[in-house]
Amino acid sequence: MSLTRITSVEELQRHLHAAMQLEHATIPPYLTALYSIHPGTNGEAYRIIRAVVVEEMLHLTLAANILNAVGGKPDLTTPDFVPEYPAYLPDGETDFQVDLQRFSKAAIETFLKIERPAPAEAAGKPRVVKRRKPAKGALRASRVADNSEEHFYSIGEFYADIGNGLTALQEKLGAKALFAGDRAKQVGPEYYYSGGGEIIPVTDLASAHAAIRLISEQGEGIGGGIFDYENEISHYYRFEQLTLGRFYQKGDTPGQPTGGVVDVDWNAVYPVKTNPRLADYNKDSELRATAADFNAYYKRFLEMLTRCYDGQPQLLIEAVGEMFRIKEMACQLMRNPIAGAGGEHAAPTFEIASVAVEV
Amino acid sequence: MSHTHSRHSQIDHASAAATMYDVVVVGSGVAGSIIANELSRKGYSVLVLEAGPGNGMTIRGYETDLSRFYGAASKDNNAAYAENLNAPMPRSYETRKLPPGQPNTSGYLVQNGPLEIDSTYARVVGGTTRHFEAKALRMLPEDFDMRTRYGQGLDWPIDYRKLEPYYRKAELEMGVSADVEDQGYLGISFEPDYVYPMRKIPVSYLDQLIARGLNGATVTLEGERYPLVVRSTPQARNGIPNPGYNRGKGYVPTGAVDPHQAEMGQRCQGNNNCVPICPVQAKYDARRTLAKAIDTGRVDLLTQTVASRVLVDPVSRRVTGIEYKAYQDFTSSEHTTGTVRGNVFVLACNAVENARLMLASDLPGSSGLVGRNLMDHAYLLTWALMPEVAGTMRGTPCTSGIEDLRGGGFRRKQAAFRASIHNDGWGWATDSPYTELFRLVDDQNKFGRALQRGLVDRISRQLLLDFMVEVPPDSGNRITVDPRYRDQLGNLKPVLSYALNDYVLDGVAFARRLSRRIYQRLGAEDHSAYDPLQYGWVSHEGQGYVIRGGNHWAGTHVMGTEAKSSVVDFRQRSWDHANLYLTGAGSMPTIGTSNTTLTLAALSFLSAEHIAQELKSQA
Repeated sequence: MSLTRITSVEELQRHLHAAMQLEHATIPPYLTALYSIHPGTNGEAYRIIRAVVVEEMLHLTLAANILNAVGGKPDLTTPDFVPEYPAYLPDGETDFQVDLQRFSKAAIETFLKIERPAPAEAAGKPRVVKRRKPAKGALRASRVADNSEEHFYSIGEFYADIGNGLTALQEKLGAKALFAGDRAKQVGPEYYYSGGGEIIPVTDLASAHAAIRLISEQGEGIGGGIFDYENEISHYYRFEQLTLGRFYQKGDTPGQPTGGVVDVDWNAVYPVKTNPRLADYNKDSELRATAADFNAYYKRFLEMLTRCYDGQPQLLIEAVGEMFRIKEMACQLMRNPIAGAGGEHAAPTFEIASVAVEV
Repeated sequence: MSHTHSRHSQIDHASAAATMYDVVVVGSGVAGSIIANELSRKGYSVLVLEAGPGNGMTIRGYETDLSRFYGAASKDNNAAYAENLNAPMPRSYETRKLPPGQPNTSGYLVQNGPLEIDSTYARVVGGTTRHFEAKALRMLPEDFDMRTRYGQGLDWPIDYRKLEPYYRKAELEMGVSADVEDQGYLGISFEPDYVYPMRKIPVSYLDQLIARGLNGATVTLEGERYPLVVRSTPQARNGIPNPGYNRGKGYVPTGAVDPHQAEMGQRCQGNNNCVPICPVQAKYDARRTLAKAIDTGRVDLLTQTVASRVLVDPVSRRVTGIEYKAYQDFTSSEHTTGTVRGNVFVLACNAVENARLMLASDLPGSSGLVGRNLMDHAYLLTWALMPEVAGTMRGTPCTSGIEDLRGGGFRRKQAAFRASIHNDGWGWATDSPYTELFRLVDDQNKFGRALQRGLVDRISRQLLLDFMVEVPPDSGNRITVDPRYRDQLGNLKPVLSYALNDYVLDGVAFARRLSRRIYQRLGAEDHSAYDPLQYGWVSHEGQGYVIRGGNHWAGTHVMGTEAKSSVVDFRQRSWDHANLYLTGAGSMPTIGTSNTTLTLAALSFLSAEHIAQELKSQA
């Protein structure tokens, strides 16, 4: 098919940078909802969101592997890597923005949009639109040229384009020229796992497609199906279980899960402020200091991941350990009300770009 | 991996009673689950009876157990599991110092002494693997012929070489993390190119300090010199998968058990409470194997169903059925009774319960050995304060040990042992860190920074070495039943008689002397003390020691080469009843210095293979 827009290695690398940015951009919203749940309550919801976050970390690593394989350099420390929330997703989905917000029906509705499957009628439609100026809040990585941006309806479509681009470029350049990256930078399965999938080292077109397939199917299922080829339920339908109040099981049709009851208590949640900013916390307050510490710590975490994707894969084990500290700091913030905010609680602000100035 | 079968919809008792199963397995622990899984995979129908509750098969049920543990004032081995009067479990806190000649009848396990023992087991789905620590050491080749080689204990009817392939299966099933390079000592051999499914669990900072301190140390015993080496300990918990496993095919760890896509059960995080429950399901327990078995669609599970009698045909001596008592409520004695039938029967409770059930069924065996030769490891705890902060309390409980005195010519004279370096401080011996906190707050009025510093100083320097001393079989150490002692359902309780002989106590005394030398060499302050008023206190050659149990019950239906001197053959088949298998550590003629689970798991694979052959030849 000639629909592909990716015609050079440079474009491919930019898309893969955007892919990493995209995978990461979902993590702060998911973590905010996850940690806002009162400890010991909403067990099913907690596990569902947690499982998705863990898989987003896997997807981030898979995207880094593909980028490394084609000679790119993953960098999670660029100033725009972490978006300002509310944010549009870096694949250019323009019909909704993503907030940092507490566990709530609204949060789950957003998560469903993030993970939504592409509708059948969208297949094959052109996705690049010319715009005079970028949509507000959209990330630079979604722009393919000065005057045009790509806008995908779903993350799956975005990855499908990357997959098509890889295939086309291999035909054009040959496998050796395309997959010219340093193999020592590939992160292997020994560095990560959960129940759902494992890290695939990417060294050729087949492994690159396998990685893309894993990412897409974990998000949206196969062709919008509930379960993927490993019998694992996709993120979209995982989240839907929370709004529908039941688990999906094999043989169910979308929208009609017939498994056990999923109990959700929307009130057992810290009332954290939506899209908080450091400026919302009084200067010289402990909250302000802790939130700033969080951002500095998170920045160091991203630096560590960058080194991990640059030839030190063993750091991924340490990085997982660092996430405990992230959780602890996030929960500390969320347990505390913001002075004069009418009972709203604090939360991490994820203002990473401003860290150098703040600290 | 997702399990989409609905595991909570268990079969009802009436349908189970109306079914003729290929195999009836009593007990859903590691032995029963492996046998059920192996046989169901070969197409046979299996019924598993579990005396305790089955709530642990879902994440939600598992987390109920977890919060029970968090909320429990006493964190004993069974603190995670609900008090259940219909399938009671021994609790370590029920152990009492015995007045001479008077049994302790207060707990489920009736103790005659003379030595009190605080060992326990769990009666819940998954059995005692639910609270085991998951050390997974192979036995030494010499452990299999102790009688021939050293004139002690009993010989096994099989040797290490015969069991080796089954060790590999057990290491795969349980997901063992270890490096072969560290494990090939004292004759332990591996297939060429073998690697464990996962790499060793990273050793703790404390381990590294001890290793540095002991570097070059040797011990001379009975004229032979033994270097002391700190080695990483194999353990059945998720670590770093080894890409070289299975000739480069790699290994994918098994996660949490749940019918709903929970995707938990990741790498060990060092939460340090493997005993009694891992908060993230990184530790293997038999529910994982049982879940796979149930997913075949050929395994039915009846929980809260206590096997109460093994029924035997008086002429053929074959087992015809198992009588059970099923209950709904943990406190009410209300129950229903029934009988389940099958072609082959497998008792896979544990060494105590297997013997108890046989004896309660008036089946002491033609050799009279059912319940005898009871073994457990005798633990001597020693503890000291390191001269510097050593990072104590970073889990898992043990990541390294000293294995060099597990084998050697000295075993003619005294018991062998291995030692574990504890990352979890003095807790096992002294109830630290709580005791430390009380001392600092109540006795020394410390608060704020001073309290914080005091805790770091007193806890982060703690070193506990446990010495796990082998106990050879002795027919006087035994489980019996006594009609005076029954549980709420009327089932006979196990009655224990236990003592340690001089062979063991010589090993204990040597371990104590060695610990003093080790602490001297490390510059550590020895704080070990043994109170004569404590249970488990023994006196030997003028010195007193406190012995703790290891929960490694074994020997009550030993395997051998003939009916008159053993209860089962090497396939764990009863000599007396051709379609009955007594499985688990109860079949082991010696336990050496290995935690028993890995070896009994290996034996379960061997038995499953044999049972499948038997069923095939009958068909």
